[in-house]
Amino acid sequence: MEAPQYVAARVQAALAEDGRTHELGIRVDIRGDQLFLRGQVSGAEQRERLGLVAHEAAPDLRVHNEIMVVEVADAGEDEHLD
Amino acid sequence: MTELRIAAVGDIHLGEDVRGQYRKHLEGIEERADVFMLTGDLTRHGTLEEGRLVAEELRGLPVPTIAVLGNHDYHSDLQYEIAAALRDAGVIVLHDDGVVIQCGEVKLGVAGGKGFGGGYAGKCASEFGEREIKNFVAHTRYIAEAWKVALKEMTADLKVVLSHYSPVKETLEGEPHEIYPFLGSYLLAEAVDTAGADLILHGHAHKGSEKGMTPGGIRVRNVALPVIGRAYAVYCLGENGHC
Repeated sequence: MEAPQYVAARVQAALAEDGRTHELGIRVDIRGDQLFLRGQVSGAEQRERLGLVAHEAAPDLRVHNEIMVVEVADAGEDEHLD
Repeated sequence: MTELRIAAVGDIHLGEDVRGQYRKHLEGIEERADVFMLTGDLTRHGTLEEGRLVAEELRGLPVPTIAVLGNHDYHSDLQYEIAAALRDAGVIVLHDDGVVIQCGEVKLGVAGGKGFGGGYAGKCASEFGEREIKNFVAHTRYIAEAWKVALKEMTADLKVVLSHYSPVKETLEGEPHEIYPFLGSYLLAEAVDTAGADLILHGHAHKGSEKGMTPGGIRVRNVALPVIGRAYAVYCLGENGHC
């Protein structure tokens, strides 16, 4: 059986290199037959694509997509650099 | 000289599915800021379609807009085409060079570009050994030297450096230490400390922190959108720092 660390690395590489996602910095954790995705992206569709690519890269694992979509707030308080 | 208000953001990573959504947040930016700066990773995959989409989001803003590109914008090897699309939309795009613009009463000099990695003093790669490692470090060294020359050659009341990669470790806090060499290089800070500047803005480190400082005492701000959590941050520079 392939070590979970290598599977996680392969999924992370797929998320970065797959033309549908190209997303760096997504954390991939594997516990038993479960795979957890964590991180932040700019849109809900990107989150779904990441879940799909992860599933394709590790089809035997159950994917839990815990990625958050960044909520863009309006500009807040100014910082005075005096 | 009066004060200058700088709106800044990086890592907006725009794609077709979020078209028009970022632009909404730029309404009224002229009330908040005198200039708008973007620190790269404007696209997700670096395609020309995405570059054109970003250009449309930024077209016709009521304040001067200056940008550098990030590693995502280079991914499809179309960085020059993306830069051209942005320039067509009125955005000033820096590629390891500088520009001086008049912002009200302030003559503002901005230098910079994508930047690159290598790590930080004491824990960094050196130009030694395999050609691939030497090329990696030499690329950063070349960029740092270009920024130093650009800063030294410009005459301005205030100087700001725009980068995608980080010049310091402080603004990476929250990122895994193992990937620091891929997030920036101390060579960038050393060059800017040598030439002098009032502020350095960067992005790239989504899990990093906002505030840092170079060894020479220049303020550094990581304005990656996931870090600042808003459409842009506003920094006030000037004699008293009051807007």
